[in-house]
Amino acid sequence: MKLEFKINNTSKALELLPNETLLNVLRNNDFTEVKCGCNEGECGSCTVLLDGKPVNSCQVLAMSVQEKEITTVKGIGTLYTPHLLQKTFVEAGADQCGFCSPGMVLASYSLLKENPKPTREEILVALDGNLCRCTGYVKIVDAVENTAKKLHSNNLVME
Amino acid sequence: MLILFRFSGICLLRTIHLCLPDAGGVVLRDKNFRKIVESINMLHQNLEWFFPHTPEEAVKLIAAQGVILHGGGTRILKTSPKSIKGLVDVGKLNLNYIHHSDKQISIGAASTYDDVIRYSTKTKKLSLLAQALSEAASTPLRNRITIGGSLKDFPIWSSLYAPLLALNAQIEIADKHDKVISLEEYLESGMIKTKHLIKRIIIDDDPHLVGGVKRFALIRFEYPLFTVAVALRAKKKIISEARIYITGVKGRHKHCKRAEHFLIEKELTNDVIHEAVKHFNPKFAADYKYSAEYKEHTSKVFFTDLLQDLKGKL
Amino acid sequence: MFKYVNQPVEKIDGLALVTGEEKYTDDFSFNNMLYVSVLHSGYAYAKILDIDDSEARKMHGVVEILSYKNVNQILYTTAGQGYPEPSPYDTLLFGNTMRFVGDNVCAVAAETKEIADEAIKKIKVTYKELKPILNLEKSEGSPIIIHKDDGAFPKIPVFYDAKKNIASKVEANVGDFDKAFKKSSKKIEFDFYCSYGAHCAIEPHASVSYLDLRGRLVIISTTQVPFHVRRIVSHVAEIPVSKIRVIKPRLGGGFGGKQEILLEPIVALMTWRTKRPAKLVYSRREVFKSTRCRHEYKTKLEVGYEADGTINALHLDALENAGGYGSHALTVLANAGSKTLPLLNKIENLRFTGMGVYTNLPVGGAYRGYGATEAYPGYAQAIDMVCEDCGLDVVEYYKKWCIKSGETSAIFQALGEGKEGVAMNIGSTSLVECLDEGAKLSDWYAKRKLYGPDSDYNKGKRLKRGIGMVAMMQGSAIPEIDMASAYIKMNDDGSFNLNVGATDLGTGSDTVLAQIASEVLDTPVESFIVYSSDTDFTPFDTGAYASSTTYLSGQAVRKCAEEIKKQILKVGAEMLSLSLDEVELDDSRVVAKGKKKEEVSYAEICQYSMYQKNQFQIQATASHISPKSPPPFAVHFIEIEVDTFTGIIKVLNYTATVDCGTPINPVTSEGQVEGAIVNGLSYALFENYYFSPHGKMLNDTFGKFGVYTAFDVPPIKVKLIKSYEETGPYGAKSISEININGALPAIANAFYNATGKRLHNGPFAPESILKVLSEK
Repeated sequence: MKLEFKINNTSKALELLPNETLLNVLRNNDFTEVKCGCNEGECGSCTVLLDGKPVNSCQVLAMSVQEKEITTVKGIGTLYTPHLLQKTFVEAGADQCGFCSPGMVLASYSLLKENPKPTREEILVALDGNLCRCTGYVKIVDAVENTAKKLHSNNLVME
Repeated sequence: MLILFRFSGICLLRTIHLCLPDAGGVVLRDKNFRKIVESINMLHQNLEWFFPHTPEEAVKLIAAQGVILHGGGTRILKTSPKSIKGLVDVGKLNLNYIHHSDKQISIGAASTYDDVIRYSTKTKKLSLLAQALSEAASTPLRNRITIGGSLKDFPIWSSLYAPLLALNAQIEIADKHDKVISLEEYLESGMIKTKHLIKRIIIDDDPHLVGGVKRFALIRFEYPLFTVAVALRAKKKIISEARIYITGVKGRHKHCKRAEHFLIEKELTNDVIHEAVKHFNPKFAADYKYSAEYKEHTSKVFFTDLLQDLKGKL
Repeated sequence: MFKYVNQPVEKIDGLALVTGEEKYTDDFSFNNMLYVSVLHSGYAYAKILDIDDSEARKMHGVVEILSYKNVNQILYTTAGQGYPEPSPYDTLLFGNTMRFVGDNVCAVAAETKEIADEAIKKIKVTYKELKPILNLEKSEGSPIIIHKDDGAFPKIPVFYDAKKNIASKVEANVGDFDKAFKKSSKKIEFDFYCSYGAHCAIEPHASVSYLDLRGRLVIISTTQVPFHVRRIVSHVAEIPVSKIRVIKPRLGGGFGGKQEILLEPIVALMTWRTKRPAKLVYSRREVFKSTRCRHEYKTKLEVGYEADGTINALHLDALENAGGYGSHALTVLANAGSKTLPLLNKIENLRFTGMGVYTNLPVGGAYRGYGATEAYPGYAQAIDMVCEDCGLDVVEYYKKWCIKSGETSAIFQALGEGKEGVAMNIGSTSLVECLDEGAKLSDWYAKRKLYGPDSDYNKGKRLKRGIGMVAMMQGSAIPEIDMASAYIKMNDDGSFNLNVGATDLGTGSDTVLAQIASEVLDTPVESFIVYSSDTDFTPFDTGAYASSTTYLSGQAVRKCAEEIKKQILKVGAEMLSLSLDEVELDDSRVVAKGKKKEEVSYAEICQYSMYQKNQFQIQATASHISPKSPPPFAVHFIEIEVDTFTGIIKVLNYTATVDCGTPINPVTSEGQVEGAIVNGLSYALFENYYFSPHGKMLNDTFGKFGVYTAFDVPPIKVKLIKSYEETGPYGAKSISEININGALPAIANAFYNATGKRLHNGPFAPESILKVLSEK
């Protein structure tokens, strides 16, 4: 069957089965920027934002979120119009294999949007659902801090 | 029936991508939907979704065999969904709220862990509960796990039960006449095993209650071995009421009555703490990582630490 | 100085990665594609008497089932190594003997993944259960033989004795250990046990295959070794190399776990037989159970020394658990000796003995650190013990006794990878500076003095603090075995295609290689269109392992770019009517030396060479092998706090100083160090495989296995201290592996500093720590 979902600020009819997870539905409908690392809610690769908050899309049944705003990493910036946060990730070297990056970027985005001047501790808490085995997280946390600094010094609002 | 949305899930369509490799190894993608084998329905059981608007409607719906409530969905996806025939979504029941009135705080069952943490940060209330929940699972899961779902399922690593029991929480269950029972009764009566709809949790807003919670986990994202919670009330430093609970033990939870009795009418001194621990004897089962003895030993250390923390706060 | 090298250039794929644009293996889907599921053995050791797949075959949507009944029984090794592989040929894609829980029973290809999974459940397998060996110390010479009459054999002439369950054996002697040990006035003997480890690359193993328009097999796969995949799939699936193309798209982390040919032959056979695309993606549980892991190790140290700290004799013995198959069993073992023993090269009498044994537990393989991780905890604790006993500062001790520039160790020649090693002198090293700088950054001298088991600071306290350190070396590529090559051609606008066989696992090697070419050709990194890891379109490279890509592939790129430079200069000189020695490269132009007024741009040069006169394509290819494997060095300092009531060790500070020669890209180099450190920390403190009494892994999820989140990482200080390696590109050596080795030994040494007790079992999980603390 096909149902309407609100994804990345547009309305989209997606193919799905009633027992499918949001992760499967998204990936089967070409949103391959949402990655699958464990399918058990334990790695955060499949993070999407639901009404602005990060969730593990592998732990969400798609049928239950028809009325919510779904945001994938492409919803905050694309290769052609990257978000400041995404640019800062690359600048800081927070991107190694990149498999966790969509989830990391979304978790960071959600944090900064709500709290543009997070403490280091608040960043660590916000990222506690996203595993990365490449970076040791040092440069990822740096990237979030650097973005916050840039927002602050340029009087920018997180969008 | 007052069902907003309902359909049966027979679906023969599936997305297939047509990709052609070009000479450079880049794959051109195009989309093409194609009907696939009729047998697919054999695998995807006829799962039905219900989106009721009232608790009464939801209660009626879950009376059917194989039909259960859907809150955040995290536990349904952890367990096998194959036996489930229908899901009753609680999203439209207006159970996502936290109210404060008459020295009581009501937490709607569809509130997420994150909702509770935010409420606590804003109001400085429910800090014991919020502390436990903020260490549980992970940010994306805390945004999804509901209080009601978590109460109903009570996994052994639950971070929710010990603090709620210590806070003497009550829950309201939807029925012909809505029924309020203590959380302890909910567990002991076996009600937890029946099908029902939890509407809210009620916690006394008592500024004189001091409490603490500690869980054993080596790393942030790990199923904790146990969670111990203590809530104390004192008059002029003399303890008048004590509630001590631990989860993760044999039988899932333990109400540590002996330790409570010991503490009543005493002042928390080092000697009293030292003695109190002797009355704190939770029993654990060994698992593949830890022996029962180690868990017992460590739970005592944690209990002592908790009392030490509370000493200055009374 | 350098213009493009040693600069923090952003990763060329970075923006595409963080915007989700890049594609990984599972992101490729094809029309009419089959989905594959594999049935894995639930028994540690069993014979399959029969497989009845008739019910499964009747299912609508089931297309093909592979098992020992219809797959040719061809022995191979899953280890993605050079040919002939130093690992024994002891594995069948689908055989009838199951040697560990997770071994392949059969595979189903169906119209959907759900149907394939359902069909797996309908296959009736009749097993005859055999008594397994589940203890590495009970394997050698056991009456239970794991590879009995299956024809398993070593592909190269090395010791191999399957009848005694011996998968590999290594011995090397320098001087006369026995004699020197005997006459030493002081002696130390102890064991150290290292647990199984899992790579936990966040992307699970996956392979997709299809037939191209001319009927050739294309495999897209999560691999570190595309060329070895092509060769080994050809062998196992009996498809000519000419009919196979292997592509590695973006890869979601490897760490050695994807240097193994596991899924590729399965999808290859499915596609070859059905003529349809096929996809196999392992679940996280399958990755834990069925792929490869870090070998379990038991090392034994014997050290004979004098009261002044002089070590006369040192013997490192390693017992390795290969698991059910001998993948990397020989080479990991050899590296346990060759990556440790040369460090203190002034010890005159050295002995290394090692044996890898088969058991019915998960199969070991390549894992970042590769033997060194398993050997350093014993080795570095031994050095710490000698210093403690003799009242010497261990940092000063390393400074005095460590290998220096111009020096050698007889171990280099004695221990190779399946054959004799290669003698070499150390060229570049900043190890002594690393020791000094690390001591300074970690406040070593003050803290070492402040702490100590009997110090005022620790005495009678519940929380005890200690600081420990370790100095280490690794290698850069396998000398005279590994080969890398590169191809560059020039385009009309002055841009270049850089095609390399090298495999970027996420480390940023595509970027690093472009930086090297940029430096040679004095043109921005953006001028390079990098394409890597496609067996049809990129030249050969052994792959991403043995810390080789920057050092080896980088030098191939440099050589190739030098060729291009010559061609550009020649055309430029011709255009400027100057002689070759009158021109030079300057910022994407050929200019007349000195005055620089006469110039032609790269675009003009390429257009000239393509369209105007003496036309030819400016292009070149180059290959590189290395006569040596120059070691990078690292020194790690770790400060810990031990809760003596619970046994929980908390890391307070981690300081690492690293010599990787010239860091081609300082940011990605630091990233390699930080990632390895955190991986090493979790391996040191809790990562382990827990088994049922029947050999089944119990903690096969991220949640149960336990992986650090950002929240768990202690403060880490990293400083790269340059040296210049003449044999590497612009002075570079490797960096990716070495830093995973430091946590176990440095924490163990810090623990002694805090408590006065030695640790002999990794990981340092709280219950075992409490046990150690309660021992008298």
